[in-house]
Amino acid sequence: MIRLESSSVPTWAIAPEVGTLDQRGRTFSLVVIGDPGSRHLPAARAIAEAWTAQLAARPAGAVVHRELPAEAAVAVLTADLHRALVGHRILLTGTARDCLAVRAAVLAAGAEDDEVVIGVVDATERTVWCVHCAATTVTTAALEGETSCSGCSRRLVVHPHVSRRTGHHLGYMADAEEQPWSWPEPRA
Amino acid sequence: MAGTTGMSGSVRERLRLVVVALDDSVPGIRSLVLADAGGAPLPPFTPGSHVVLEVPAGPPGSARPRPTANAYSLTGENAHPLDYRISVLRAREGGGSAWVHDLAVGDRVTALGPRSGFAPVQRAAKHLLLGAGIGVTPLVSHLRSAVRWGRDAELVHLHRSGAGAHAADLAELAARGARVTTVTDRESFTALLDDLLRTQPFGTHLYCCGPAGFMELVTAAAARSGWPASRVHTESFGVEALDPGAPFQVAVAGRTVEVPAGTSLLEALEDAGLAVPNLCRQGVCGECRVSVTVPEGGRLVHRDLYLDDDEKRAGRCAMACVSRALPTSGAAADLEVHL
Ligand code: FES
Repeated sequence: MIRLESSSVPTWAIAPEVGTLDQRGRTFSLVVIGDPGSRHLPAARAIAEAWTAQLAARPAGAVVHRELPAEAAVAVLTADLHRALVGHRILLTGTARDCLAVRAAVLAAGAEDDEVVIGVVDATERTVWCVHCAATTVTTAALEGETSCSGCSRRLVVHPHVSRRTGHHLGYMADAEEQPWSWPEPRA
Repeated sequence: MAGTTGMSGSVRERLRLVVVALDDSVPGIRSLVLADAGGAPLPPFTPGSHVVLEVPAGPPGSARPRPTANAYSLTGENAHPLDYRISVLRAREGGGSAWVHDLAVGDRVTALGPRSGFAPVQRAAKHLLLGAGIGVTPLVSHLRSAVRWGRDAELVHLHRSGAGAHAADLAELAARGARVTTVTDRESFTALLDDLLRTQPFGTHLYCCGPAGFMELVTAAAARSGWPASRVHTESFGVEALDPGAPFQVAVAGRTVEVPAGTSLLEALEDAGLAVPNLCRQGVCGECRVSVTVPEGGRLVHRDLYLDDDEKRAGRCAMACVSRALPTSGAAADLEVHL
């Protein structure tokens, strides 16, 4: 059973959910995360617009609004936080998988949980990190569902645990307890 | 006496100490150096930790008819302490602080601790330390440790004009690179505060210690300046800092006892004729610990400085002098107490 209150998986990584904006913030980095042409962009832009409307009374320059793929978002946010002052907030919207990945970078850059607001438009895909070979696999498997590892081809159970450091779900071999453990055959 | 009664949780060390030096140079404030009575090294501590001094009862008919205990922040070296340093403001006549002010070099004292409830956040990019009056004491050890490890730290001390507590320590740490500002009136502090809170690098954590009014001033200014709760840490001692709470009911020894707002669980049990061992009556010594069961849908609010976070989360015991239960809807009692 998944017990959400004790799980490291945020509720927004299980089903789409839009976080509440903290009006006490003085400055904001707002990023719509997604590759150009992604079918999720329109929904993410709508969330961003709703946030922008709530912050309309702020002085010019208080909200920096961008639209970027996840990797580029990580780079600009890391640079933002390097220059930012306490009072800054990070607003991220996009798919759960992208939000998890970018959140991980933002936390690594020194943000606290209550400085990051997430708006998720789709939570069907997740990245699973294999404990056996350390490869990552993008899958639509549900929590505690199974997927095949892109690195070692093992059947992995998607464990309800997300690393804060990487944003990846933990995956380990299905029936790991019942099977004698052995190294995989080297792949051709 | 102090310590555990066989319930879950770690045993706190009880230390036999001797007063080796006294400093009364700041009016109303006494600084003490305490060493192990047997000459042994003392346990290391996290910056911001306190020890709990056991205060014996005064003579019959005095203002202190029963023994008590007070918590004092440790201000000295924390990693390999050869002694423990504390500073005590003389408060109410006849109270624990007056007893400390009457101690002489060579006197023996018993302490419990050290306990950490106000630790620096390791990942902080910078530590901003704001203290008022004697509330600077836990921040002195924060600043000392930051200087030693080369961490970015800045301290602002608000105190009445004249010598402030630990002025010499702070001057020495400033000479070693720490930023220290001293302010002697509230207006200047208020004028400086918003600016200070709006210019801190992202990643800064704020630590605040002082009288209730000072802490309210700082936490309100921090919220106004956009600080999230996770970056603001406060330390307060004493029951005055606790709100009276809502009334709740406990099931104990086959009966139901009402705990009114403003009355502690300990007082309510005593009024019902149920004895609970106690000493400090302010949540620092652990003596009044009782086993409890929180009913389905109930919640325990600990408020003590004795239990660690794991023990608090487990919710199997409470400090009767400060802990309360939130009123539940439906349950027969809001908390079960097992004496
Ligand atoms: S009597 Fe000391 S903690 Fe309650």
